[in-house]
Amino acid sequence: MNIDNDVIPGLFADPTQLPKESDLQELLRLWQNERHAPEILPSNGELLSRVLDQIRRQSDDANALRRDANLSEEEHYMTMLVQTEVERVKFIIRSYIRTRLFKIEQFARHMTNDPEIQARLSQAELTHARRYTALVEKQFTTSVLGHLPDTQRGLDDDVPTLPNMVTEPDKDRPVFIHARQACGPVQLPDGSGFEIANDSIHLMRYHTIEQLLARGEVELV
Amino acid sequence: MSADTRQFCDLAHQLVTESRRSTATDTLFKYNDPLVRSIIREQRGLETIVDNALAQSEDETPPASVFIHQTAILRNKRCLLAYHQHRLNFLKNLYWSMGGALPPLLSSPNIRANLSPSEVDFLREYNAMVMDFRGDFSDELDIASSVTIPPKDIHVLVRVVKDCGVIQTELGSIDFQRGQRFMVRRADIEHLIVQGYLEEVQS
Repeated sequence: MNIDNDVIPGLFADPTQLPKESDLQELLRLWQNERHAPEILPSNGELLSRVLDQIRRQSDDANALRRDANLSEEEHYMTMLVQTEVERVKFIIRSYIRTRLFKIEQFARHMTNDPEIQARLSQAELTHARRYTALVEKQFTTSVLGHLPDTQRGLDDDVPTLPNMVTEPDKDRPVFIHARQACGPVQLPDGSGFEIANDSIHLMRYHTIEQLLARGEVELV
Repeated sequence: MSADTRQFCDLAHQLVTESRRSTATDTLFKYNDPLVRSIIREQRGLETIVDNALAQSEDETPPASVFIHQTAILRNKRCLLAYHQHRLNFLKNLYWSMGGALPPLLSSPNIRANLSPSEVDFLREYNAMVMDFRGDFSDELDIASSVTIPPKDIHVLVRVVKDCGVIQTELGSIDFQRGQRFMVRRADIEHLIVQGYLEEVQS
């Protein structure tokens, strides 16, 4: 078994393969963007299952190697490295999934009303969003709404003087962006245009750079 | 405060203050059933006032008092829902901080005593939902494990704080008894640290 070529990409990445990004780098960016963005971003199920497959292969290989009694000192050290790397990648995936889950529950009601956002969720996430909305609604009904007069039972009252009852992501929130290429111009709040230079870092409102992020021209840091 | 001097929404304000206090002190207070009930009574009273006022007004324009009462109704309702939403979020946080395990949460007398019956139902159903969601990943990883500190080592030195019986690890089965120390693989016992059976020894 040749461990050097089979490890998690990025650890002993082959420099000739650049500039194509490895799955791990892509995953890291996906995770960082998700952590910083106020709304839920499109999921990348393909990438995720690819990395999960790699993880499984890696840990199977490492386990098989460790049982081998003739393992040299160097090989033993290598398997340790691989295992540590696997654990760290697992951490990132876990954190990524949990971040999405948190956002899904926070905006569950908003999501179940908006097909455009539903397209960003995986099937399991969508099911979770629907079930969660139903659960919270049931909870509100048993503890509060069921005891109120009929006219007061709505969960989406539209009253001009009060904030909306359905929680929506705050797209005005400022985020730090790192430009992966020269892009723009973006429109600043005062109406002027702004060209973003390659490799520069800026602090901007999320809705200003929403499209750039979707096209992958900037990343959140 | 006597009932005559009380304004509409005073009670609801008390309820929201309780939620704020709960966030500030990071404690789960007992479900305030009496207060919730009195606000619901106030809501019914307000509804009757509005209905009567509308029935009595002859012309098309309703009396101005209806506007005040309607505002109070909406405000009370939002406060009630905010209180319950805050509690649900708090419970979910507790649930995840236990590594997605329900039994320790429900068997802890401090927590159990503060829950309303419908909140216990909520936790049970939420747990079932999360279990289904977790099932999709269970081959490779457990999404309920800790997400606060990334692992730096595959092995970890732990001290046993509570007896937790025989656990299967890569070194075979280990009988964890209080006071003992072990060097084990993190992935094998991560959930026991989260649930408070083991404690990481910082070197």
